[in-house]
Amino acid sequence: MRREAVTYTAKQVAELGRDNIPSELLSGQGLVYSSPATLAYNSPGAEGFGVKRAGLSVPESVMLIVSPGCCGRNTSIVSSMPQYEDRFFYLLMDETDLVTGRHLTKIPDAVSEVVSFLEGQGKAPRVVMICITCVDALLGTDMERVCNACEAKIADTGIRVRPCYMYALTREGRRPPMVHVRQTLYSLLAPMEKDPRSVNLIGNFAPMAEGELQRYLLEAGVKNIRQIGACGTYDEFLKMASANFNIVTNPEARASADDMSRELGIPYIELTRVYGIRQVALQYQALAQAAGITIDLADDKQEAEQAVFDLREKYPDLTFNIGECINADPFELALSLLRYGFKVDEIYATLAPEKFRYVAKIAELSPDTKIYCNMEPTMLYYDVSSSRAHISLGKDAAYYCPDIPNVAWNEDVQPFGFQGIKELMARIDRALGEVTA
Amino acid sequence: MRGLRKVLTPFAPDQSGAVSVLYNLGGLIVIIDAGGCTGNVCGFDEPRWHGARAAVFSAGLRDMDAILGRDTLLVSKIASAAERIDARFVALVGTPVPATIATDYKALKRMLEKKVDLPILTLPTDGMKLYDSGESVAYKELFEAFAGDDVRASEGEELVLGATPLTYGDSYTDVTLEDIESIRGRRLVAASSSGIEAARLTGKDYEIRSSLAEALLAGEKIEGKVLVCHDEVFGKTLRDNGIDCDIATFFTLHDEIKQGGDIKITEEDEFTSLALSGRYDVIIADNCLQKLAKGYEGRWIDAPFFALSGRM
Repeated sequence: MRREAVTYTAKQVAELGRDNIPSELLSGQGLVYSSPATLAYNSPGAEGFGVKRAGLSVPESVMLIVSPGCCGRNTSIVSSMPQYEDRFFYLLMDETDLVTGRHLTKIPDAVSEVVSFLEGQGKAPRVVMICITCVDALLGTDMERVCNACEAKIADTGIRVRPCYMYALTREGRRPPMVHVRQTLYSLLAPMEKDPRSVNLIGNFAPMAEGELQRYLLEAGVKNIRQIGACGTYDEFLKMASANFNIVTNPEARASADDMSRELGIPYIELTRVYGIRQVALQYQALAQAAGITIDLADDKQEAEQAVFDLREKYPDLTFNIGECINADPFELALSLLRYGFKVDEIYATLAPEKFRYVAKIAELSPDTKIYCNMEPTMLYYDVSSSRAHISLGKDAAYYCPDIPNVAWNEDVQPFGFQGIKELMARIDRALGEVTA
Repeated sequence: MRGLRKVLTPFAPDQSGAVSVLYNLGGLIVIIDAGGCTGNVCGFDEPRWHGARAAVFSAGLRDMDAILGRDTLLVSKIASAAERIDARFVALVGTPVPATIATDYKALKRMLEKKVDLPILTLPTDGMKLYDSGESVAYKELFEAFAGDDVRASEGEELVLGATPLTYGDSYTDVTLEDIESIRGRRLVAASSSGIEAARLTGKDYEIRSSLAEALLAGEKIEGKVLVCHDEVFGKTLRDNGIDCDIATFFTLHDEIKQGGDIKITEEDEFTSLALSGRYDVIIADNCLQKLAKGYEGRWIDAPFFALSGRM
């Protein structure tokens, strides 16, 4: 029997409606295929900023992973990066620990030994993150209490000990791991005097690429723009508590922003990463209004429009396949590209109901655009040969489309807003140019 | 402290070993996890994943699935996939989640057998044991399901057991289901610790030999007293070829291999003590262990060991 990957066109999905999205396109409906996208998502320590790397975003922090050996196995990828040398430690659980919970009583001693080890190397940490996994989620471990016991054990050092929850089981829950880890990071901040000329960008772990957003803030009189990934020391990180307001650039940081609003009195404004020029402009106008500042975005907007125009002039029939391992919402990106006059042949992404609004609009512009779900078991049989795309976007799309140029667009340091659009257009042009050359 | 790792990252776990044996056999492999374990297996411990697609799936468990023990939902997901995927068997590979909630694999198997017309293999790995243990479990399940009394293959045809990428890196040797079906008539070579366990299951005589160690010997002149820290068969092969060595292994050390100076080690400082004991002119081990032997002044020969370092 001929086997094929299950796919639906945008038109089919739109006609079925938001409440009847085919189960093959949704998360949690079946077994999960081991595609690059699901592996990157599934394994929070494997790529990008999963829980492990994210937990070490705080300068001068180290992490003790308390888990079965399997949970820390792939950390050797991260450990090999110079900035993570001597920052990961492991307390391996065995079957007796699982039954008796005795590993919990060993954690304070383990933290003490790790701290002594690092002090001996002249690398005393300021924070120890304790990362626990699915096992302790199911055991109902009270990690706050364990962390308090750890702090008591090393009270003379003043080192903070905080929990990180790498609970893959809860990734579709109210507080998935990447939401929770951000809350843990910012919970280290203590109230301090406000500096009306300080602003935090929260959401990213690596610094946001320098761009128009920072320039707008500086032109409005802001002196200090702080991001966790740009803080060189723990003391510098603590100054994030002095911010006048937070700008949230990733929805997974919303809960942290709520915490900071409540605990530190820092209000926040949310900006979303989008690739529609009009939507970017509207967001900046909303930011200006909320923050009471003036933003002159005309030049940046014009430059983004020009970048899109130039690419379209050069490649009028340019057709894309788009994956989800990308610094973008693949459906929003697809819609934006269609609105710019490009074509989108295939999208490889899990379709959540809140994304339906994009699919409905995609269906109006490009009803035949095909939607595949990276999680769907039949992706085992995906065959790219019928695709008409000239280029793929997203690291995972390269896996499905090995014979056409790819722009991964999933780097840690991410451009934002108009700058993001301009750079994406430039990268697409470069990738296509390399093929032509 | 026992169990505390300050230098090394954790070694390949049993679930990776289980998948490593099953990977290219044409089965529908279901890792019973929330997703992270599958990510570790395919994204890290299974180099073959990068070269070709394989039917390895995560069960995609969520917290309430585990808390409420929704086995019926899991069976339904597997049955749905089995209808749409060509497979010769279904293998359920355990992780810490089913270990924590005490999943009844026998019951799962019975439930699945009513829905899926394929052999069902259950491998109760738990992510807390090491890869060689998982490989042994996989061989046992395979033999029970597929090793018949077929003796058509000639006695001289060699079948290498235990040469998975986790021990052999890119020099691995695949075993096919046809090999398993005809195993009774084959001349067996145990190429690693799990190979010994597998060969023992057949009740047949077997040879113990590591082609990896033989390749090392072909390229190196080794003199003096040697400490070899690798798989036990790797060490035995060196010894059988005239190297005066003690074997230290983080994995299984069978009595049939163990000699006076050999030792099974578990902790980092055990290796440090051995390396710095002054007894060894040469250490043959993965370079990742060098950090544990600071101050060792003898010769170090790198023997990459994927299950330790993730290095080919």
